[in-house]
Amino acid sequence: MTRRLIASPAPWVGLLAAIALLLPLAISSPFAIDVFIRVLLFAFIGVAWNLMGGYAKQLSLGHAAYFGLGAYTSTILLIRFGISPWIGIVAGGMVAMLASLPIGALCFRLRGPYFAIATIATAQVLMLLFLKFRDFAWGAEGTTLPNLGDAPLMMQFDSKLAYYYLALALLAMGLAITWCIERSWMGYYLVAVGEDEDAAEAIGVDTLRIKRQIYLISAFLTALAGTFYVQYIYFIDPNVAFSFNISVEAALVSIVGGIGTLWGPVIGTVLLEATSALLQSWLGSGHGGVQLTVYSLILMAVILWRPAGLIGILTDAGARFAPASLAHAKEAPLDG
Amino acid sequence: MLATLAQAVINGLLIGGIYALVSIGVTLIFGVVKIVNFAQGEFVMIGMYISFFLANRFGIDPLASLLISMPVLFVIGVLLQHFLIRRVLALGDMPQIFLTFALSLLLMNVGLLMFTANYRTVQTAYSEAAIHIGALYLSVAKLIAFAVAMALSGVLWLFLHATDLGKAMRAAAQNRDVAMLMGINPERVFCVAVGVSLALAGAAGSLLMPFYPAYPMVGQVFVLMAFVAVVLGTLGNVTGALIASLMMGVAESLGVQFVGADSGLIVVFVMLLATLALRPSGLFGGWSR
Repeated sequence: MTRRLIASPAPWVGLLAAIALLLPLAISSPFAIDVFIRVLLFAFIGVAWNLMGGYAKQLSLGHAAYFGLGAYTSTILLIRFGISPWIGIVAGGMVAMLASLPIGALCFRLRGPYFAIATIATAQVLMLLFLKFRDFAWGAEGTTLPNLGDAPLMMQFDSKLAYYYLALALLAMGLAITWCIERSWMGYYLVAVGEDEDAAEAIGVDTLRIKRQIYLISAFLTALAGTFYVQYIYFIDPNVAFSFNISVEAALVSIVGGIGTLWGPVIGTVLLEATSALLQSWLGSGHGGVQLTVYSLILMAVILWRPAGLIGILTDAGARFAPASLAHAKEAPLDG
Repeated sequence: MLATLAQAVINGLLIGGIYALVSIGVTLIFGVVKIVNFAQGEFVMIGMYISFFLANRFGIDPLASLLISMPVLFVIGVLLQHFLIRRVLALGDMPQIFLTFALSLLLMNVGLLMFTANYRTVQTAYSEAAIHIGALYLSVAKLIAFAVAMALSGVLWLFLHATDLGKAMRAAAQNRDVAMLMGINPERVFCVAVGVSLALAGAAGSLLMPFYPAYPMVGQVFVLMAFVAVVLGTLGNVTGALIASLMMGVAESLGVQFVGADSGLIVVFVMLLATLALRPSGLFGGWSR
């Protein structure tokens, strides 16, 4: 693993945090702020996916299920019962955790590609069900969220800056949780499961239990992103909340950046979203297909030439320029 | 009521024949090369567009264009194995899954850029024709598609059981290492397996064209069906995939008939999840991963 890369990175993390905190104050373009918010949000979703898909190598393609459950839970509580999304966001996380138990029980029987397919199916089933729930979840038309103006207690803000800092806080929390897990016994168990499930089982790791636990955490975090997203765009329907693109992008940013590493999802999101924003400002938004064409080419290139992700390039470069005492970092193989 | 039921079952069986071509392709690649091809549906899409353009530009009947779409896709399959899949065979699950997954995304979105999202259809003399048997109504186009699909499945079965190359393929599927020791060239077998599998997807595309619209995302429906059929039919089992596909077609059709027009997919996914819960190794037992 790339633990050594971040063995003494405190100054770098501090610098990064300072940049992240000051960036929106220096740049006033609403388009740019919007891009930054997307970057933070998708990096956060990627971090949540990475706990499960990166460390334990349970390659889920159905994380939209939890994104959607989070989004719907807080929205239903808000519109039907007038409950603040601050409570709704936690409730959404709880619902996602509950849902992850039966879904996990079904999907964990399968490995590799068939786990991925089963998770796709669960997210699709939820989307199809919410298309049918016309009475309490507005069916296919979806609904707009009431615009309460500047209502911080209801997680609604006039200024995009507030959303930016909220997304930044989510990402920071996700990274902190990953950092703690990486260092705990749980992190080692997860990596053992990811490397070789049978071998982990043989040396006494309760693989089913550890997978269930990390799925709970991953589902909870993904649901928080769902609530944040609908509060940000003021609209929800099953195609937005359970969009297959959410599941894809969660996996994509982690793989491109560096699967099973703390910073991988962040690096991947910055690259992909920056590419996407550049393409959009260059071609305009009317070219459906360009963004995903480029994403898929990047993904294929990474898989064929850099299965450890872009973070591998950074570690290699770091090792080359690092003093001799740090050169052993290069010996640690980065496995994808 | 009985007539409605019979009609739904027949409609399901007919479309199940097409699902069978796609799922046999998926299960063949999985059995021999041990890769799940997430892009299989996109090759159905390519088959459809080949037939569409041949019909549109040169007035070639979609059924005749089968003779072009199948060889073209066979070649694409050989190239796919040789230049892409081969490179991830020694790697773990992540590269193996996401390589074909990325390919699926790529083909869909290139399709979107080249052909737009518009539905393309081909009208043939038999597109609207139907045979009436009592109260039952049989679409001629679907009947032909079903018959050709079953014939192709039969040819594949003969190929796998009666030719040396087919036997080599089954041997490689059972135990790659022993097959290599017996002098089987695995790379050649893999190329043929992926080629044949894509040719079947191309055939499915051409057969669909007289009664089904082509659009860039069309493959998604078929690949999801195929995945469910392949799990139900036990991974890597060609006959299992065929039977399961016909069952899925019937289940979908019954769902649409009796639960609601948009319920076909729910029935299919519920079948998948129920299979995973009750019998994860598929209906036809045997081995799974």
